[in-house]
Amino acid sequence: MHEHTAPGLELVKADDFKEWLVDIRVLDPNPLYQNETYRLKFTFSQQYPIEAPEVVFVRDDTHPIPWHPHVYSNGIICLDLLDRAGWTPIHNVESVCVSLQSMLTSNTKKERPEGDEHFVKYNKQRPKDINFVFHDNQV
Amino acid sequence: MKVTFKSWNAVAFWRWDMPADDVCGICRNPYESTCSKCKYPGDDCPLLVGDCNHSFHMHCIFSWLRQESSQEKCPMCRQRMSFNGLPRCLIQEV
Repeated sequence: MHEHTAPGLELVKADDFKEWLVDIRVLDPNPLYQNETYRLKFTFSQQYPIEAPEVVFVRDDTHPIPWHPHVYSNGIICLDLLDRAGWTPIHNVESVCVSLQSMLTSNTKKERPEGDEHFVKYNKQRPKDINFVFHDNQV
Repeated sequence: MKVTFKSWNAVAFWRWDMPADDVCGICRNPYESTCSKCKYPGDDCPLLVGDCNHSFHMHCIFSWLRQESSQEKCPMCRQRMSFNGLPRCLIQEV
């Protein structure tokens, strides 16, 4: 991710190769995401890009967690390309962000994943260690 | 006048016969340069061309294929990865 980032993306922090922050906005007029900016945290392992980065939404006063049936209210994202089985090393920060923009923009449901409350309360695993089942090809 | 060559050294350089501005899809370094772990380009850090025609630094594609999750597939097209060798070289005299 260099000087020219895709529209709706802003690199907030990229001081090292451990952790980056990127702000993303949904540019299409989807009423669920109007006038909001979301903050993504990328955590890279030594093996990146052979291994997927860990990517979560982070919440603060000005950045909510977007509504989506695959985004838990603690910011954990269930998306196949971020999972071991769906990742390929030709992805990069920008392509992941663009995929997330597209995942959000095509969504019409103001919903959280099933079992969100329980998951957010009890999950202690790192996102990459969770075995998500990718059952839903609709959103 | 007669000139006698006692010895001579031919000097030339070579590069991979690849588009000059192309980068390895894995490490994003130019093909002309090395993977992110090597110091010297060329023979020490060669390129490999897959049968699917996608190319990578050899070290980059091998570290991907060593991952179980790669299922030995090309990161670009997800076809089973097999190689037909190194790319051609271009030699230029100086």
